[in-house]
Amino acid sequence: MKEIFVLAEHRKQQLRDTTWEALAAGRKLAEDLGAELTCLLLGSNVDAMADALAKEAPRVLVVEDPRLEPFHPDACMQTLKAILADRGPFMLVMGNSNALLDLAPGLSVTLDAALATDCFKFEVRDGKPLAWRQMYSYKVNTLVSFKDAERIVATLRGGAFAFTPSGAAVATVEKVASPLGGTTFRRRFVGYVEAEKGDVDVASADIIVSVGRGIGDEPDMEMFESLAEAMGGVLACSRPIVDKNLLPKYHQVGTSGVEVKPKVYLALGISGAFQHVGGIKGSPLLVAVNKDPRAPIFRVAQYGIVADLNQVVPALTDKIKQLKG
Amino acid sequence: MDIIVCMKWTPDTSEADLTVDKEGKDIRKDDLDFDMNDWDRFAIEEAVQLKEKVGGKVTAVAVAPEDAEGMLRECLARGADEAYQLWDDAFEGSDGYAVAAILAKFIKDRPHDLVLTGTLADDDCGGQIGGMVAAMLDIPGSTLVSKIQISDGKLTCHRELEGGLYESIEMDLPAVLSVATGLNEPRFVSVRAVRKVAALEIPTLELGDLGLEASAVGSDGSRIRIELMELPPEGEGAEIITGKAEEAAAKLAEILKEKGGIGS
Repeated sequence: MKEIFVLAEHRKQQLRDTTWEALAAGRKLAEDLGAELTCLLLGSNVDAMADALAKEAPRVLVVEDPRLEPFHPDACMQTLKAILADRGPFMLVMGNSNALLDLAPGLSVTLDAALATDCFKFEVRDGKPLAWRQMYSYKVNTLVSFKDAERIVATLRGGAFAFTPSGAAVATVEKVASPLGGTTFRRRFVGYVEAEKGDVDVASADIIVSVGRGIGDEPDMEMFESLAEAMGGVLACSRPIVDKNLLPKYHQVGTSGVEVKPKVYLALGISGAFQHVGGIKGSPLLVAVNKDPRAPIFRVAQYGIVADLNQVVPALTDKIKQLKG
Repeated sequence: MDIIVCMKWTPDTSEADLTVDKEGKDIRKDDLDFDMNDWDRFAIEEAVQLKEKVGGKVTAVAVAPEDAEGMLRECLARGADEAYQLWDDAFEGSDGYAVAAILAKFIKDRPHDLVLTGTLADDDCGGQIGGMVAAMLDIPGSTLVSKIQISDGKLTCHRELEGGLYESIEMDLPAVLSVATGLNEPRFVSVRAVRKVAALEIPTLELGDLGLEASAVGSDGSRIRIELMELPPEGEGAEIITGKAEEAAAKLAEILKEKGGIGS
């Protein structure tokens, strides 16, 4: 690999965390592969963001075009295809965010590149990068190679690559003329839509009791409500619970749901897929109860109980009521 | 409107005890139950609901071996008009790119106004197929789609961003939409509905039928290769509270009390 490219992600003129995490991954890859590192910033009126990136990346390449703001996957794809046309071999890394999920797979086809999504670690063997990702309900770690690909696109698991600001670089920001010309796109951005707000605000709760797929198909929701009430907390959930209409969407914690920042998070029957755990911010006391000892949630929780919820939850509720007196 | 729905046949691993096989490049699947990928269940339902609203034909398709015929028959019971199974021994070992190439070839050769699939599959957790198929067909696409509206040939949809934010977009047809779970309520499939479609033929198309080269599929046509699979070490992470349910619950209550987990 001669070059490592990092794609900056931004929304409403703010760089997103995925950008810095991608830069952290890119730095390490560039070092391990002896490659040049360049950060790519596509948007409109991006000077402030370009300046911030120039403090951390050795090179920043900017393309400005009104059609690149707000994020438009097809406009990004065309732009990247044009500016990377004569480059190579290269590896392009970016966040595995909901927005970029509309870009990376199509982009890999357009660039004729190999793709690995949601990578949590890279390693280098014989001068070639390999990626670690997860399969089978996120329970199995898998090492994948890119065969002899000269172009690679990889998306990164949120939170897997920690960024340390160096502030040492003073990159020149290189502006490249937009290659989009008179292109019109068959997809058009209409607007942002805020989710419906409910009577429970899990985003601001300090104590959260959260339920997931493991509570079964016909769960006793009152049992969980009682525990949340005894703890003085609110009831939240992971995606399958909303899909089954057991709780409204505004209870859903996760990357596609509500981001929470509680002091205590009690996860009941939650497997711990990254889409859920990614919505838990800060560093709460995380306790998990699950009957599967291999559930990924036990890797991020501080305390765990491997047991049947129908036995543990009523016992826990009673005990808490006793302790409260 | 012609709607093609791409389905996947996946092992249910969410609560199963998994082990890696002898070669160390996959898990043992002989004891696992296989079923329709959860995300795709919402895709086939959406296709049938759209057909019920605007008329047309729904075709279900899967790149999957013989065992998956039951899933395709279930798609017919759910309201699809026809189903195709794409399988050839040469397809074995295909990665997301090779599977997308097989699906794109199938779709290209028949009328399609809309292609639907699930955003993710629980086995490879890749989230690649929809976007790749759209690029291969050179038509627009989107993922994590949580609402679809079609009127006067115009497609409007919502897709999920982070933190409770959605993006509203318009697209020209044909398009590929990868749906989010929860965008509809998949119908209950009655025994009667299954019986009604029991005699329908589900054609299997092989490499040659699709006009594909062996080098474009299977491990040869794949761009990534699995080198190693391993289970994360057990005991990593949480301190496990042991004892019978009541004892464990009592210990946990004490911990919660001590750490501020009991509010007023």
